[in-house]
Amino acid sequence: MATGLLVLAGVLSIGWWLAKDPVDELVTTQPGLDNRGEHSVVADIDIGAYFETMGELNSELQETWPRFRGEYFDNMSRSKVALIDKFPAEGPNVKWRVELGEGHAGAAIYKGAVYLLDYDEELRADILRCFSLVDGEEIWERGYKINLKRNHGMSRTVPAVTEEHILTIGPRSHVMCVSRQDGEFIWGLNVEKEYESEIPLWYTGQCPLIDNGKAIIATGGRSLMVALDMESGEVLWETPNENGWLMSHSSVLPYEFQGIRMYVYSAYGGVFGVAADGPNAGEILWQTSAWNHQVVAPSPVCMPDGKVFLTAGYGAGAMILQLSKSGDQFSVEVINEYAPKEGLACEQQTPVVFNDHLLGILPKDAGPLRNQLVCVHPDDFTKVIWTSGQDKRFGLGPYMIADNKLFIVSDDGTLTVVTPSTREYIELDSYRVLEGHDSWGPLAIADGYLIMRDSKSMVCLDIAKSRQ
Amino acid sequence: MEEKDKGLSRRKFINDGVRLTLGLTVVGTGVFSLKRSASGKDYVWQIDPVKCTQCGRCATECVKSDSAVKCVHAYDLCGYCDLCGGYFKPGAKLQTGAENQLCPTAAIQRRFIEEPYFEYIIDEELCIGCAKCVKGCSAFGNGSLHLQIRHDLCLNCNQCAIATSCPSDAISRVPADKPYIIKGDFTSEEEG
Repeated sequence: MATGLLVLAGVLSIGWWLAKDPVDELVTTQPGLDNRGEHSVVADIDIGAYFETMGELNSELQETWPRFRGEYFDNMSRSKVALIDKFPAEGPNVKWRVELGEGHAGAAIYKGAVYLLDYDEELRADILRCFSLVDGEEIWERGYKINLKRNHGMSRTVPAVTEEHILTIGPRSHVMCVSRQDGEFIWGLNVEKEYESEIPLWYTGQCPLIDNGKAIIATGGRSLMVALDMESGEVLWETPNENGWLMSHSSVLPYEFQGIRMYVYSAYGGVFGVAADGPNAGEILWQTSAWNHQVVAPSPVCMPDGKVFLTAGYGAGAMILQLSKSGDQFSVEVINEYAPKEGLACEQQTPVVFNDHLLGILPKDAGPLRNQLVCVHPDDFTKVIWTSGQDKRFGLGPYMIADNKLFIVSDDGTLTVVTPSTREYIELDSYRVLEGHDSWGPLAIADGYLIMRDSKSMVCLDIAKSRQ
Repeated sequence: MEEKDKGLSRRKFINDGVRLTLGLTVVGTGVFSLKRSASGKDYVWQIDPVKCTQCGRCATECVKSDSAVKCVHAYDLCGYCDLCGGYFKPGAKLQTGAENQLCPTAAIQRRFIEEPYFEYIIDEELCIGCAKCVKGCSAFGNGSLHLQIRHDLCLNCNQCAIATSCPSDAISRVPADKPYIIKGDFTSEEEG
């Protein structure tokens, strides 16, 4: 009897074991579990509809910082104004301060006027604001209503300014062209709608370019890059986007190589050069998909010898391309690629070139050298010549060179002055100027006035040695 | 007769002495324990998230299986980003397929709120305290994901195995009445 029961139990157990699906309790992790919806419909925006005049600008100042990375796209000021080496005990002279919508947009300066594309959180509008450089008085505002939600801030681009025009790109890629003299609206372009572009994560970071009377915008979407007439907004050329590459946070860089002018852009999908002039303007001269990363904020650094330094955060590290020209044909090859722990890499800001050496701040995933300012060898960007040291780490903030001084802003708003060198780190002084956080907006300087910001406010520092 | 009385007296004296000693010991230990408890001098192990270098040893060195260390999320620090460095592998597609996720046990649930926000929720049943998400969040995000020793799971060993092996001395004893070192405003309010 007992034996029979045991046999029966054994048979039932084996039957249960055979019938049981051992993975029936496992849940497969598949796409779509986050219930993400479809992208929202692109809104019609009345670009340039808002305008208000507050004052009048009377300035005899002549210097300019007319766009992202300055006049020569190298983040280096050519001004002859001597700047201070050290801050007074009470800190630098803050000429004026203005509250802003949350963001990281940087200013441009043109002959005594400061231009900034802000996001007005009360008005819920992208607003191009014109201030007097010397006293911060607001002169006029031009903009358009758009409902944005904060996404690590809203604003994050620098206007491009010429004698006649100001060109802006808003967080959702609305391009606006206005008259520099009086803020009169000239034309606008809804890039997301017209070119079926995909707005990058955390909004548009591409700073617009004005080049020889043309607005140059890397749209992604239906076209890779477009040129528009600055006077009329008329499309001059459109570069086909056969690979379906997308707009990144990087900005278009003009570059001349072996007598040929081109626009270089690091898109999501690849990097390319487009002919700037001549009968083939707008045609792709070279391209490669070897550099393809999810988030690309720094712009390409193009060297006279055809080397193109590319870098990005989120683990991307850096890549160096070598551009060559044979007859009318360009070719490009990857000559080095490395992880952020292995050499110069940057997450947000673009490195500066000083005496042929690259200076930059390493990202957080760069190992022991994380967040340090480093100088690398011009022949080998993995060969670190010096670092700022483990006691001197920075963040994602901007840096620029003026009067042979390197000005660096830390995340917390601390301004550090360094003597740029190819031999060692030489710090002159450091002072916490801003109280906020995420002080990432690019710097601008003209006539000895330095414009810097944190996520919620902007200040003008008078750092001219002669005025102290 | 007198000698017998003396002997009983000596035995009684010894017995009374032992009883008194034991009684004092018991009472003293109780009073000491009560006093220690009342003054908050009990201690538990905890991770300082600022010192933590996300080495991964919390998952493997804890005497418990699974580890008593879990990831916690400071929502007030989180950017609610579509691209979350704590959720996605670098370069991954921004969707929930397992091949895109950093977490080896799919312990982070990603939930769409509204454009452009996504919420990231830790499933503690699945979390093994490996810190892969913490490393990604610290490197590319606001650092809102961080590790904590859960005291409903911790055995509070006299010699904590993960504290011994922690390369950055991030684990130490903290007062039992403040057993967590949570990032963000939560800790500030508690302290306030």
